[in-house]
Amino acid sequence: MIETNRDRLLKVAVLGEIISPVSTTYRAQWDGEPKIPVGMGGIKYNLKVGDPCFGWASGDHVEPGVTIQGKEKPNPSECALAMLSCIGNEAVAVSGEGKGAKGVYTGRHAGTDDLVWFGDDDLEKLAIGDKVMVRTIGVGLKIRGFDDVRVNKCSPRLLESLGIEVVEGKLIVPVVKEVPPFLMGSGIGFSPVSEPVDYDIQTTDPKAVEKYGLRTLRLGDVVALRDQLCINGRGYYRGALTIGVIVHGASDYAGHGPGVNPILTTSGGRITTKIQPDANIAYYLGLREAPK
Amino acid sequence: MSWLLRTNRDSLLSVAVVGEITHTAVEGAYMTSWDGKPIVGVGRGGIVYNVKVGDPCFGWAWGDKVEPGVSADGVGSDGEKGSFRNFPCVGNEVKVFGGDAKGATGVVVGKVGYFPEGRHHVVIHFDDETLEKLAIGDKVQVRSMGIGLKFEDYPDVRVVGLSPQLLDAMGLREEEKKIVVPVTKVIPATYVGQGSGGAPSESSNWDVMTQSPDAVELLRDLRLGDVVMLEDILSAWGRGYYEGGATVGVVSCGASQRMGQGIGVTTLFTSRDVELKPKLCPEANIGKYLKLGARK
Repeated sequence: MIETNRDRLLKVAVLGEIISPVSTTYRAQWDGEPKIPVGMGGIKYNLKVGDPCFGWASGDHVEPGVTIQGKEKPNPSECALAMLSCIGNEAVAVSGEGKGAKGVYTGRHAGTDDLVWFGDDDLEKLAIGDKVMVRTIGVGLKIRGFDDVRVNKCSPRLLESLGIEVVEGKLIVPVVKEVPPFLMGSGIGFSPVSEPVDYDIQTTDPKAVEKYGLRTLRLGDVVALRDQLCINGRGYYRGALTIGVIVHGASDYAGHGPGVNPILTTSGGRITTKIQPDANIAYYLGLREAPK
Repeated sequence: MSWLLRTNRDSLLSVAVVGEITHTAVEGAYMTSWDGKPIVGVGRGGIVYNVKVGDPCFGWAWGDKVEPGVSADGVGSDGEKGSFRNFPCVGNEVKVFGGDAKGATGVVVGKVGYFPEGRHHVVIHFDDETLEKLAIGDKVQVRSMGIGLKFEDYPDVRVVGLSPQLLDAMGLREEEKKIVVPVTKVIPATYVGQGSGGAPSESSNWDVMTQSPDAVELLRDLRLGDVVMLEDILSAWGRGYYEGGATVGVVSCGASQRMGQGIGVTTLFTSRDVELKPKLCPEANIGKYLKLGARK
C-alpha cells in the first residue's frame, strides 16, 4: 500500500465548455492518401473509455465521451481546466438540460482538449456549448518515500486504485503494455509543462503496430513508456520510466497515434511494471464493470 | 557504379518567395530546462554574427538551438507565409531586397520551426561583410527551386528540401541499386524527438534530443551544416517513425536543454525502404559543399 499527501491537497473548481468538432479539409495520411478525420471534439455517443483505440471508420485521434475546453484564455492549454484537472476528478454539468449530470475527467488531448465521461442517459441531454465544471484535486500529489517520482495529472482516487505495490523500495505498477522509446512521437518536445500535454505512441508503421502488439490498445489503458522522462516536458532519457493513461485513439498521420497522459515518471529507477491486460481506468474508476 | 543520378531537374519550377529577417526568438519569461532549471536560451535565430555553418552544435554560453547566420520568416497572409516556409530548399540563393545590404546574396542552409505562435525560421548564410550591413526587418527573396525533384530510378525516395545546387555538390552516387549518401553520423530513432507528427515535411525540422548523457556522447562532435541520416525515420508526408525508413537531412540548429528538443535536422530526402545507404564521411557538411566559408 502506498501513502500519499492527499490530506494536504487543495480541491478547486474549474470551468469548461462542450466544444464542437472541427472539420475543414482533407489531410494527407502518412502514406500520402487523403483522409477526413472524425472523432475529435464534441459529444461522442458511442465511444467510451475502455473501447478500442483502433478500428473506427475514418476515425483519427478519437476521443471518448465528451470534449470540453477552458475558455478564460485564448490558448486552451493555458486554461485552469487544462492545468489543474486530474484523471479521476468529478465533473458536473452546470448548464443546459443536462444540468446536474455527474461525470468523470478522463484525460487531456492537447489537440482539442479535456475529456469527460458521462453515462448514456446524461449524454442524451448534453449539448454543445453546455458548461461543465471539474472539481480538481491532485496537483501536488506525492507518494511518501518516493520524492523522485513525479505524479502528474493523477487524482488521489486514480493513484490509489492503480493496484500499486511497494516491493524492495520500488513501486510495482500494473500496465497492459510496455512501449519502446522510439515509438513516442507527436507531442515530444512541445512545451516544458507536463500537465496539459499528451504525446502519441506512433501507429503509422504497420510493421511496428504488429511487432509491438499495439492493435489491442484501448482507451483508458495504463501503459509504461521505456526511457521516457516527463517531469518538465516529454522526451528520451535512458533508464527513465513513465507510466501513462491512453486518452485518445490511433491515427493515420505520420508521427501520430494513441495519446498518453503521463501520470508517474522517474529517472531514478524506482518504478517497475507488472503486465495486467485489464489495467484500464474504466475499471479503476468504476465506469465499466471489471472483467471477471 | 554511377556518379550521376537521373533526376527530373529540367521540369522544376523556379519561384520567388519573400520573407523578412526576424528578431531573435526570446520568451517572455525564463524557459524551463529538462531538469527544472530556469534558462534564457541565446542564439535562436535573428542575426547571429559569430556562428556559421561548420561551427559546433554544443558549447555556446547559454545557447539553446543556436542557428548559424541569419533567420527569416514569411510575411503577409498564412498562405504567403506558407510559401516562404515550404518552397525554399537547402542550397537555394537568397537576395537582399532592402536596407544597407540591398543586392547582397546568401544561401538557404536549413529551417527551424516550432516557435511560439507558429513562427518559423528559414536559416540563411551570408558572408561577414553582408552581416555587418543587415538589419532585423530587412526584406529577403529566395529564388526557390527543388520542390517536386525526383530521383527517376528510385520511386520510393521522396525528395523534400534538396536544391539542384546542393544535389550537384553533395557527392551522391549509386551502388548496387542504392543511393550512397556521405554523412557525418547515423542517428538511431530513439534519439529523434520534436518534429514527430509535424507536417508538411517541407517546412520546419526534426530535433535530435540532447538531454540524456548517452545522446550527448553520440552527438557531441556534430557541426552545424553536417549531413546526417536518421534511421527508421520517414519524412515523406509528415514526419514519423517507420522501421527500415531513412531520412537524410542537414543540421540546422544547435543543442537544447529543453526536454524532447535538441539539434535541428532539416529534411533533404527520405525513403520508406532501404534505398539510401549511409557512408560515414567526417567532411559531409554543406559549408564545404556550397563553399560557404567558415567563421573568421
